[in-house]
Amino acid sequence: MREIVRMIVVLSVIGAVSGVTLAAFHRLTAAPIEYQTIKFVKEPAVKKVLSGYDNDPIMDRKKLQVGTDPRGRPLELTVFPAKKGGETFAVAVEGTGKGYHGEIGVMVGISEEGTILDIGITSHTETPGIGSRVTDPGYTDQYKGRAAKKGVAVDAISGATYSSKGVVAAVNEAVGSVAKFREEIF
Amino acid sequence: MAATLRQEFTKGFWQTIAPFRLVLGLCPTLAVTTSGINGLGMGLATTFVLVCSNLFVSLLRRLIPTQVRIASFIVIIASFVVIVELVMQAYFYPLFKILGIFIPLIVVNCIILGRAEAFASKNGPVLSVADGLGIGLGFTLSLFVLGLIRELLGAGTLLEAPVLWESFEPFAFMLKPPGAFVALGILLGLMNLISQIQARKG
Repeated sequence: MREIVRMIVVLSVIGAVSGVTLAAFHRLTAAPIEYQTIKFVKEPAVKKVLSGYDNDPIMDRKKLQVGTDPRGRPLELTVFPAKKGGETFAVAVEGTGKGYHGEIGVMVGISEEGTILDIGITSHTETPGIGSRVTDPGYTDQYKGRAAKKGVAVDAISGATYSSKGVVAAVNEAVGSVAKFREEIF
Repeated sequence: MAATLRQEFTKGFWQTIAPFRLVLGLCPTLAVTTSGINGLGMGLATTFVLVCSNLFVSLLRRLIPTQVRIASFIVIIASFVVIVELVMQAYFYPLFKILGIFIPLIVVNCIILGRAEAFASKNGPVLSVADGLGIGLGFTLSLFVLGLIRELLGAGTLLEAPVLWESFEPFAFMLKPPGAFVALGILLGLMNLISQIQARKG
């Protein structure tokens, strides 16, 4: 009996100590990790979808509170504004949509007049060679110059219907959030 | 004491160099050695986990009941692996992206659990750290050399700097998984040859 108690105590203590340590590390590294993902994942996409600005959209990024999730925590939306002479003339916003294998993240550049400048896929886990073709310029270029309204009609990639739909959903989400928070963004 | 300490440290470099002598830990050895830097990064991450897990296992060796030792070792190792993963993601993001799934998989690297079970659970903390450091750096060295060879032949570069003549046509094959087996096999053969020559002399 004493043996069993000892086993349980030792294993629980080790588990608890490691849990606390990891929680502390998670908190410590949260800010640098956010910075690194913005630098290596978001920045190339932002640079692709925006042009002709004289500010640093990454440094000038703004966080808007867009509501709360079911557990009551705030949901945030990061916007990357492109400015010329201090005036915001376009903005890059990320939206997500459900593809064939999970979330597809799409960075969408939207001008103040309400046209889509360009889109760039930031993250996806689609099938290589099939669904992954949504990252090809041949597909993403179709969005250039479209009106930033819900329900953008583009040609889907044959054989990758779900992936194409995921991108459209992500673009719609980004367009929707820009329309909703126009006042705060421009 | 000093002599055994040195012996425990240096044995990992030749005598029991993990991927070649023990043919252990081959999964990361074959998978991530597409360049010298990748091999070095993977090796150092593994070394850190190995040293820390050896230290803690050896400090706690009298407290942990034998029946639950493997579970305890795994919790300790897994914690350090998550720490490495978080730190890499926070400060070495490009490397983190390349190594990807192989960082979490350090948990199941048999070298680490092997050293905890065979060495750290039976020896004091100082010797265990020396052992972990030796085996870990030996592992790093193996991955680094293998990565350099594959990078040189497969891409014509060394540490991302072009070193071969201009018209050199890289064997892209060397960067593919079969190339990893071929390179590992040739290195293993060379090491055995050197050992045989040494044995004949001695």
